[in-house]
Amino acid sequence: MTSDSKNTALNEEAMLLNQRAQTRKKMLNVGQYILAILVTLVMFFPLYWMLITSVKSQQEVLRSLPTFWPREWHFENYINVFKRANFSKYYYNTTVMTVGILFSQVITGVLAGYGFSKGIFKGKNFLFVIVLGALMIPLQVTFIPLYIMFADWKLTDTFLGLILPLAVSPYYIFMMRQAFFSVDDSYVEAAKIDGMGRLGIITQVLVPMTKSTLITITLVTFTDGWNSYFWPKIIAKNEVRRVLTVGLVHLRNTFAGLDTMNNHEIMAGAVMAVLPVIILFFIFQKYMLTGYEKTAMK
Amino acid sequence: MKPLLSRKSSKKVGDFATVLPALLFLGVFVYYPVVQVVRISFTNWNLINDSYKYVGLKNWIWLFEGSGTKYLLNSLKVTFLYTLGELFVTIIGGMILAVIFNKLAKSFSIMRALVFLPKYIAMSSAAVVFLWILNTDNGILNYFIMKMGGTKVNWLGDKNRALLSILMLTGWRTIGYGMMIYLAAMRGISTNYYEAASIDGASKWTQFSRITLPLLSPTTLFLFVTTFISAMKVFQSVDVLTSGGPYRSTEVIVYMIYKYAMEDFRMDRASTVAVFFFIILLIITATTMKISNRSVNYDV
Repeated sequence: MTSDSKNTALNEEAMLLNQRAQTRKKMLNVGQYILAILVTLVMFFPLYWMLITSVKSQQEVLRSLPTFWPREWHFENYINVFKRANFSKYYYNTTVMTVGILFSQVITGVLAGYGFSKGIFKGKNFLFVIVLGALMIPLQVTFIPLYIMFADWKLTDTFLGLILPLAVSPYYIFMMRQAFFSVDDSYVEAAKIDGMGRLGIITQVLVPMTKSTLITITLVTFTDGWNSYFWPKIIAKNEVRRVLTVGLVHLRNTFAGLDTMNNHEIMAGAVMAVLPVIILFFIFQKYMLTGYEKTAMK
Repeated sequence: MKPLLSRKSSKKVGDFATVLPALLFLGVFVYYPVVQVVRISFTNWNLINDSYKYVGLKNWIWLFEGSGTKYLLNSLKVTFLYTLGELFVTIIGGMILAVIFNKLAKSFSIMRALVFLPKYIAMSSAAVVFLWILNTDNGILNYFIMKMGGTKVNWLGDKNRALLSILMLTGWRTIGYGMMIYLAAMRGISTNYYEAASIDGASKWTQFSRITLPLLSPTTLFLFVTTFISAMKVFQSVDVLTSGGPYRSTEVIVYMIYKYAMEDFRMDRASTVAVFFFIILLIITATTMKISNRSVNYDV
């Protein structure tokens, strides 16, 4: 054999090996995709089941052989829920509460975020430790005195009662402080030379430059507010200021032992309670997906 | 006339004013209640009576050497088991999902979003959906189990299984979160490591265990610390799925506090358990922060 043909033989062998490795890699890849699809199906199933059940008829829900696609579509289940429980009131209450929490957390958070990053005053670091310390004191520990206090102030079953304990978020302050730190001081100095006041600097320089962080945390605040359950359950037990999360569980419990019979309507209620958040999730997917990553990387 | 405040100090006052609203709020609605909850634990505060008086250590003796002790021990055990479960799902489950979903083609990113979505679903909605799925007679899970030749399982009514059922619900909500955190961290690992390793002939498993896993350890620690604390505070899933039953088998510590306060109106006993719970949380926070400060640097 000439050295040339030897080389070709070696080359061929190498190519064969390479090909084999590539097929193996491809098969591994296909396996990965199949697994990913399976996981997604399992994870999405509860939401699918909620949606599908919410448009079935009562008879179809009670069939011993479950159907995975509704035979008839009963959108009136949604209207019936409004009749059975005061869902329009729950929507109103939840919206007002969430907007209230949002406004006050954004305003106090942005202001304090500025003060703790760009501000100069005595005891700044010590006071910031006090803010962070509040992160370690959960509502599950303080709700008893808060409840007594709010009952004394006649704030049970009121919007103020729902909003106040959640009006300031140490987490929000922390995140805004981090974001404002990332803005170079020279921008702030330049704005000052232009004669801009403190509020001007915050709203026209710092906020626009940290918009994506601001949007991300505000979305987290919105969903946390909209989905909150523990405090609303304690402070607004009665119909007047009941929120969606509490109202939904209340609706289910009013069916008592008959809940199986009425799962189509309960599921319709569940869909309505989460719909605004799901819509936001898909609109702001980019921010929602990074929202928790951001907190993780802090 | 001399101005009341010099320009410089008025600036400082202005800067201080930006943090004042937040501080006032935290003082009134976070720090003051902490002092109060400790105070109430030394009284016989009961919402049914109009007045109260100090009773010294009576509630604390009730909790540690009285009729409350066995309930406290039970709650601690349940909370601990639950926390272990949630840690397992979030960390191990999250990591497995991250490996599966890592480096999928861009057009598949919708799947990642769908796996993460449950985190944003209100717990109350998720819980009523799981009540329906886990229903003994008509639930779809038992239907699948029977299809595969099994027998009906009483998910929520059996005291040996109720906690597992709660974990299914909370695990469904947190596993995608663990995945997202791990995926973000995996994206940060330079591909150079893997290229070098595969040139050296390292298998996929070796690459994972020698490169990925060690480089993910700060993320794992972060997930451990945050999940630990949040799992200790579990309430909502228990409240909707089992109300602490059957036979207190799912009565986690926050549920115990809630029940004494809002159902029995025993603010004194509820506060005592709450203070004890707070001390446990502080110890856990301090310990985990100490560990994480030693081995990880969170600063960007």
